[in-house]
Amino acid sequence: MARIMTGVNWLIPVFALLAVVPLVAGPFYSRLVATGILYGVAAVGFNVLFGYTGLLSFGHAMFWGTGAYVVAIGTVKLSLGFPQSFLLALGVVLLLALVTGYLSLRHTKIYFAMLTLAFSQLVYAVALKWRSVTGADEGIYGIPRPLGDIEDYYYVVLVVSFATLFLTWKLLRSPLGLAFRSVRDNPYRAEVVGYSVNRVRLVSFLVSGLVTGIAGALYSPLQSSINPDSLYWTFSAAIVFMAILGGSRVFLGPFIGGLVYVFIQDIAMGLTEYWLLITGLILGAVIFILPSGIVGFIVKLAGGDEE
Amino acid sequence: MLGIVVDLGYVAAQTANALFYSSILFLIASGLSLIFGIMRVLNLAHGAFYMVGAYVMYTVFTRLVSGAEVGVVAGILAAGLVLAAIGYLVEVGLLKWVYSKPEEVQLLLTFALILVFDDTVKIIWGTEYKALQSIPWGSFRVGEYLIPVYYIVTVAVAVVVAFGLWIMFTRTITGKKIRAAASYPDIAAALGVNTRILFSLTFALGAALAGISGAMAAPILTAYPGMGTEAIVLSFAIIVIGGMGSILGSFIGALIVGFSRTFMAIVYPVLEIALVYIVMALILIIKPTGLFGEREVERR
Repeated sequence: MARIMTGVNWLIPVFALLAVVPLVAGPFYSRLVATGILYGVAAVGFNVLFGYTGLLSFGHAMFWGTGAYVVAIGTVKLSLGFPQSFLLALGVVLLLALVTGYLSLRHTKIYFAMLTLAFSQLVYAVALKWRSVTGADEGIYGIPRPLGDIEDYYYVVLVVSFATLFLTWKLLRSPLGLAFRSVRDNPYRAEVVGYSVNRVRLVSFLVSGLVTGIAGALYSPLQSSINPDSLYWTFSAAIVFMAILGGSRVFLGPFIGGLVYVFIQDIAMGLTEYWLLITGLILGAVIFILPSGIVGFIVKLAGGDEE
Repeated sequence: MLGIVVDLGYVAAQTANALFYSSILFLIASGLSLIFGIMRVLNLAHGAFYMVGAYVMYTVFTRLVSGAEVGVVAGILAAGLVLAAIGYLVEVGLLKWVYSKPEEVQLLLTFALILVFDDTVKIIWGTEYKALQSIPWGSFRVGEYLIPVYYIVTVAVAVVVAFGLWIMFTRTITGKKIRAAASYPDIAAALGVNTRILFSLTFALGAALAGISGAMAAPILTAYPGMGTEAIVLSFAIIVIGGMGSILGSFIGALIVGFSRTFMAIVYPVLEIALVYIVMALILIIKPTGLFGEREVERR
């Protein structure tokens, strides 16, 4: 049961369910669900590092925002097509992850978190001040959406997201994924067994950043605009929230967390202009009532193992 | 700067700006550092405490007390007391349940508090910027530039607080008990120290410092929702630069951040914000315990 609930088999029904959305819902909800899917992929990326490798990044907004910005710059300022811009974004994100990962992984725990925070704020500062390229505080507008309509672009988001999720899951099931967990559970033993702990962590950092960057790169065409808020530390905190909300010890937990987060926001915004208050109260409640997250809780109810 | 005639009055005015800004940053960062140093809790809501302090000042100054000088003094005291109470309630009601939980739980809980405080402030005070309209004690002239006397008062308050914290932790029984409780909670408890109450008091004191910081910032920087999100991340930079848990470190860190931002904004604005985080990252890479931190870093 647990294997079924947490494994790759669940990608297919979730995919099928999400594929129906544009057929039955209008552009508003298609955009909302697509946003949720991308938040979810971003949180899964974060969780490769956090849940599977045991490192808390407090700067994942830098990968999301960089992916989003490079696609925006590529399509609007360099007049490249979306596929070229997307590939360019992945390249830039990988480079960013390589540099920040190499430097941040000199430490673990709180100092690692602080370094990732410093680097992401640095990227934020660049986006805020480099007006000729990033549009400074106004950001970039008029990002062309491949296939035009939201309902059509939705399927680009869905297919690329699930391909990413599938490949991530494959990787986490591979010997490399086992190495991640071995480093998480006992770095000393992992070292003794023959893993290069630092190299394993760096690979995890690269995968983690790349997956979150892919989600970001799909996000700016969806919204057709992007601004520095996407790089601010509060979004990094939101990504941590999504992962914990869904459950960081289950592969699809953070993905569901991202989807639920978007709906919490939407419902709270519909109820009151003070939707942050509602979000904050729900976040507080999750910590106390559902410490293993929504999906983690369901898996436990079903009597299954996590992971 | 080569070939540019330096206007000393301008330099003096900007130095005063930087000193004022550094003082505000020190007051908020020292509270954050205190709470981390003693309790090992990274309190993201500390910026929200700073924001609430600014609003308390606004209300006391514009509604409750007449006269700018009295108003400011009353506002600072009120902000300190209100935030001490809020801090105490937050610690006793929420935080003490998550001490044994991993860091991310503490970060998320205090992040949740930011969201709650930001909207609560909007409900009570509205969304627009709240300016105090007048600054007490007037100003004095240096060359062509006017420097508010209030800047000097703020610097004095920061210095007095720094000195007071130093006295408290090195010369008083309570301070020594708090340090004992931080280093060896079990032994301190066995020797009859009530660590529970000391933690609550430490948190209340840290929150009060954030409140005082916000109150002192309000006459110059106004009060607005979300002002805490920028303050908290700069405070993190400061305590990382100075060394987490070190009051002296917070003082030096605040000066570094305050001066680099003020003068970068003039000399090379493109790097105004980036420089702070470049310094933060460099310190973390080279000496993660910060300039004045002592604690050894865990390698894994």
